[in-house]
Amino acid sequence: MTSLQLARRNAWRKPYRTLLLMFCVAVAILIYGLTQSFLAGSQGTGGASDNLLGVFNKAGRSQSLPMSYLGRIAADSDVAAVSYMARMRGFAGTQSNVVMTSAVDPRSMAAVNGRELGLTADLLAGLDRTRDSVLVGKALAQAQGWSVGQRIGVTAFQMTGTNGSRDWSFEIAGIFEGADASTDTYFMIARYDYINAARAQGKDMVDGFVVRPRDGVSPGVLASRIDALFANSAAPTRTQSEKQFLEAFIRQFADIGLIINLVVGAAFTTIMMIVINTMAFAVRERTFEIGVLKTLGFSRGRIMALVLGETLFISVIGGLAGLAGAKCATMLAGPALGLSLTPLVAGKTAIVIIALGLLGGLLPAVNAMRMPIINAFRSR
Amino acid sequence: MTGTIGKEPYIEIRGVRKGFSFGAEKVAIFSDLSLNIARGDFVAVMGPSGSGKSTLLNMLSGIDRPDSGKVRIGDSHLEQMGESAKAAWRAHNLGIVFQFYNLLPMLNTAQNVELPLLLKPLSRRQRAERVDTVLDLVGLDGRQKQYPASMSGGQQQRVGIARAIVTDPGLLLCDEPTGDLDCKSANDILEMLRLLNRELNKTIVMVTHDPEAAGFARRTLHLNKGEFTEQFQREPEDLAPQPHRDEAMEQGVARQ
Repeated sequence: MTSLQLARRNAWRKPYRTLLLMFCVAVAILIYGLTQSFLAGSQGTGGASDNLLGVFNKAGRSQSLPMSYLGRIAADSDVAAVSYMARMRGFAGTQSNVVMTSAVDPRSMAAVNGRELGLTADLLAGLDRTRDSVLVGKALAQAQGWSVGQRIGVTAFQMTGTNGSRDWSFEIAGIFEGADASTDTYFMIARYDYINAARAQGKDMVDGFVVRPRDGVSPGVLASRIDALFANSAAPTRTQSEKQFLEAFIRQFADIGLIINLVVGAAFTTIMMIVINTMAFAVRERTFEIGVLKTLGFSRGRIMALVLGETLFISVIGGLAGLAGAKCATMLAGPALGLSLTPLVAGKTAIVIIALGLLGGLLPAVNAMRMPIINAFRSR
Repeated sequence: MTGTIGKEPYIEIRGVRKGFSFGAEKVAIFSDLSLNIARGDFVAVMGPSGSGKSTLLNMLSGIDRPDSGKVRIGDSHLEQMGESAKAAWRAHNLGIVFQFYNLLPMLNTAQNVELPLLLKPLSRRQRAERVDTVLDLVGLDGRQKQYPASMSGGQQQRVGIARAIVTDPGLLLCDEPTGDLDCKSANDILEMLRLLNRELNKTIVMVTHDPEAAGFARRTLHLNKGEFTEQFQREPEDLAPQPHRDEAMEQGVARQ
């Protein structure tokens, strides 16, 4: 037997109570794991880059910019690569099945953020084969049930073709997976030259430019310089990092981060109070036995460690169950909901589990530690 | 002072004062208690309820502290030691046998006995060997996996004794060790304590209400109103194995 086994034995003396406590901790960790996965996933900003800059119209993202800006941005010596895009918002099948299409120049886009998107040479070659080829993100392909070689139809909400129709037809040339699980792959990439030639309005205009600064260059400084270039033009720009953009975009609806922190905080406070109260009760029940252990020579520190070990045991078992639940949820619903339980999230959750166990047991442990033996013996 | 006879005192209590407050009222338990006990002695302390027997045991175990005076055991002055030092001292020098055994119900026999060994730098195997040895000594070999709830009072007390001696302490404090047992079990336990005293040279201080139990000790001290009022020293021939108490009772009944 070890001290840890002794703590475990103590925990299982009331199995029903211990299981309920573990369930409470599991629910708390499940909530925490899912919310953190959301923030780390493509629906949050965790996977967004601070190093990629987006140049958009200062008047709003629905306003376009002239293609002529490309040369002026590329001329800046601190720009490593620049690309451009036109976005087509539409739906496949029913109107609620929204599909985003970015029309890009494949080569320059690969230079800017091809690594992040997982654009291989084979995929780019596939996009080159026909003008209406598209590359579909893995999450989108899974959600729609699309496969390589399939011809798909997308109805644009606004962009009409030269034939007056809003229906666009594409052939899937490949599926890109993103560099990691947190990369947003719920969209598809089409060729700008095809879209630009086939659309009736907005020719030679783009919705934005994507810039990769050279290594060692401050993105913030470069962003200010790019905006200064076009400050007095007809279409002034606002340049932001991808992360800043996503944060600002999400904040248009609500401060998601604050809401999540409040929900998780409330859940944790409740769980913590339950754990502290239950452990305090469990320790009070064992007052006499703690006195016996002290007469055997168990020091105050060991008694404290014993109680903390017990809460830690409950917290770790419950927490791992919650973490496993969160992992299952992200695997089952991850692509559609943009959840990503990254190693960083798992690590943070592990720290929270340990902190919950230690903090939850602290008060009862201190009480047990300070209890005089003589008082403990009077409790029977 | 109640002293030792021709032996260097292992336990020395000198000029101890101890009282308790109950609201505004202060009740004195000991006003000037002194006692010497030699190493290897087996002392029974008798006395009516409230005479201070338990308080004496509490002070000898470092659970309670005298208001003034000296409590020395071996080289350790308990009245000067802090809680951590006393805990370490108890772990290495003291075994306690309780009236109601005080075993942990969720642990089996071997685990209960192993508890004090968790405080020592021993490997799992060394601990298991020691546990097996003492369980064999108290006649519980083969009952390692049995839980307290399935054992008789006498068996539980044997486990309690095994737990008290597993660290090989010099001093055993017994708080009415037979108070909850039938005659046969009580006799077995007392025989065991006497064996530990004689064969392993354990110093034993036993508090009891039972004169027959006290008869197993080398010395009996009577405590009354916080003072030792009389002392009875047994000669070696008095310490020969006694007839079993049930047998003695039967003989007594037969004589009547």
